[in-house]
Amino acid sequence: MTTEIEQPLSQKRLYRYHDVIGLLSAAGPGFSGPVSVITGPVDELYVANRASPKQPEAVRITRCTKEGDFLEHFGEWGEEPGQFIWVTSIAFSPQGELYLADESSNQISVFDADNSFVRRFGEPGSGPSQFDRPSGMAFGPGGNLYVVDALNHRVQILTTEGDFVSQWGGLGAGDGQLNMPWGIAIDDAGDVYIADWRNDRVQKFDADGKFMMSFGSSGDGEGQFNRPNGIAVDNDGDIYVCDWLNDRVQVFDQAGSFKDVLIGHSGMSKWGRTFLDANPDIEQKLELATQNIEIKQRFYRPVSVHIDAAGKVFVADCYRHRVQIYQKL
Amino acid sequence: MPGTDKPLLAHLLRRAGFGATFQELDRYSELGYEATVDELLHPERQPAIEEDVLERYYIDWKESRNIEGALTESVYRMNAYAGGRPLQEKIALFWHQVFATGLAKVLHEKTMLNQIDLFREQGLGNFRDLLLGLAKDPAMIFWLDNNFNHKDAPNENWGRELLELFSLGVGMDGQENYTEEDVQSAARAFTGWTIDDDNVASIPFGKTPWLFRYLPEDHDEDDKTFMGETGNFNGEDIIDIVVRQPAAARFISRHLYNFFVADEPQVPAWQHTPPGDPEAIKILEEEYFRSNYDIRSMLKVLFNSDFFKSDRARFAKVKSPAEVVVGTLHLLGDFKFPKRGIYDVALGCRYMGQDLLNPPSVEGWHTGEEWIDSGSLVERVNFVADQVSDIQQPGVKAMVDTLLDGTSELDPVSVIDGCLELLGHVRLHEKNKTHLAGEVRSMLEKRSGLVAGSPEDRQATENTVLHTMKMIGSSREYQFA
Repeated sequence: MTTEIEQPLSQKRLYRYHDVIGLLSAAGPGFSGPVSVITGPVDELYVANRASPKQPEAVRITRCTKEGDFLEHFGEWGEEPGQFIWVTSIAFSPQGELYLADESSNQISVFDADNSFVRRFGEPGSGPSQFDRPSGMAFGPGGNLYVVDALNHRVQILTTEGDFVSQWGGLGAGDGQLNMPWGIAIDDAGDVYIADWRNDRVQKFDADGKFMMSFGSSGDGEGQFNRPNGIAVDNDGDIYVCDWLNDRVQVFDQAGSFKDVLIGHSGMSKWGRTFLDANPDIEQKLELATQNIEIKQRFYRPVSVHIDAAGKVFVADCYRHRVQIYQKL
Repeated sequence: MPGTDKPLLAHLLRRAGFGATFQELDRYSELGYEATVDELLHPERQPAIEEDVLERYYIDWKESRNIEGALTESVYRMNAYAGGRPLQEKIALFWHQVFATGLAKVLHEKTMLNQIDLFREQGLGNFRDLLLGLAKDPAMIFWLDNNFNHKDAPNENWGRELLELFSLGVGMDGQENYTEEDVQSAARAFTGWTIDDDNVASIPFGKTPWLFRYLPEDHDEDDKTFMGETGNFNGEDIIDIVVRQPAAARFISRHLYNFFVADEPQVPAWQHTPPGDPEAIKILEEEYFRSNYDIRSMLKVLFNSDFFKSDRARFAKVKSPAEVVVGTLHLLGDFKFPKRGIYDVALGCRYMGQDLLNPPSVEGWHTGEEWIDSGSLVERVNFVADQVSDIQQPGVKAMVDTLLDGTSELDPVSVIDGCLELLGHVRLHEKNKTHLAGEVRSMLEKRSGLVAGSPEDRQATENTVLHTMKMIGSSREYQFA
């Protein structure tokens, strides 16, 4: 354990803060604006770093263990094959290939198990297999790729080669309509959950895009959202939603009823500890800022949430350049 | 008064904003001059930009970690608000120039941007409240070392600049406005006004906000004598006394005049150099006291005055780099929605000599003709000329379509006059206009083999219009507001 504080519980005591991985860094151990966190084929974490156009070297995928040991980083900023500019999400196909959505190029790039670029598909537009700022991605039980096509306000189903299968959505606030959707999750039954970003709600569809239910409204109360983005479903069917501008992650049961809320309890990470040990003057200054203690622990724009097979909840805490980890109790 | 003359409104919008598109001038003209002034003075009545969308796509801005990011965010906001709340942004730019604070020392981008937000939110309000906000602003406290201003070891930096550069000026009418004892007393009154955190390290987890903190145990509780008054003054008392001084009225009036009406000499010369228009300054000074130091009231008087509306005031100011960049982007309708490339465009301000959020010193930038040197002029001309001739830009296309649609035949004068009007009622000197007319005439004559109304003919006339706009954008006159 690398934390220095007691392990606090979530509001309804269903989750315990477990650990944090992170350090602001443009290379090596660390993240720079993490926007997507997932588990890879061998139970390691992959974290996509959006970073800044003024720091293109920081745009990369970081691979590390779930205990916070750095393994490697790969990928780079640019428009050539294998490069990317504005990464929004990453996802692993059932075949173990890594898919990466870039909302600048409006393309999806595919990397093999060695992290080598394989192919890419997509182009700007609103037609089949075209995108206007693709964001969340997930694979369905049948192996098809579901892509949230944000500014086309739709979800597209594609083959792993990028061929169009079907779509649903359209701009609006009615059932089945979307407004700049962001995150996507698919449960074991193949049902699809969309973070309907500008409608401040979550919508649930069957695998073919037929509307099933929605929950959430605008606000900061329980069950309300201020621009939800990252979304995930665990083995129990509980739904986790990054409530972005409310700086929290809410948990709902299968019916969409509020269950719990995570607000962030970060301690110091292993990578951060190493840095501070080498820079005691900075640690001293951090400790002097007594008004900021709580601010440092809390989520600051959580963007992506991921639950692994062991029930651990990984939250990409974007503006704090870290992944906070909770354990479901 | 419906149908108010558009050249006057264009003048108003160049000064109170960053210029206006021809569509906006149509609307303002319907509204009338005084109602337009009123609308500009109340930006809070206009819609805010979509902050959620901004943050979604410029995900690295919220916690900017470099000066380029902070500069770019400032430019984006100015452009985004140029159509709806232009004076909110212009007044923020004004106070940033007066209360010049820089990232070269502050090194905390979010804290700097918070200071600009203070100017946005309070810049049109009461000057006393604004000074008080400034005195508590973490960026300013750090910039002028008030975090090192202790009861037992006063640091005079903030106290001195508060008087010299932020409220009174060194002197006026040949007299000095304050003494060294006043500086020392002001410094002592602000002991204990500090910040909770001055850590500039981004790591381990990004920067955390700097917050104002008052430490009573570090405050000098002894009596001080300041501007002829004696008491156990705290910082608020000093500001209360400062804003009552005639020198404060003069100082703020000259700054407003210099920024919104016509270029004045640089600030250090004000002690011995009288205002260019003493009557105008007197009117503003009177409004300062009448309104109880209200900046909005002073600007209302200013924008409705004859000295502002007069022909002499038009095109009498050299545009600042921010005005060149933002004014051009707004005219083009570019970057009204987040997309890639804003960094490269925004940095034009730096290349033209105005590194926003990083002024050269606490004196701010030297303005007027001092904006111009051979290098910055080339940057200005290239920037504008490249942008206003790009038909892919929605604003350019709208201007070209407006000029050409429904027009069967064009002559050089109508092309030039049309372009001047659409670009914001720009004025060209007759000599330049004649020269440009010759060029346009020769371009139009080359169309003689084309069939009127054919796609080729349309393309040729479009090119003529684009070239004309490019030449106007390259002109000396376009560099004036």
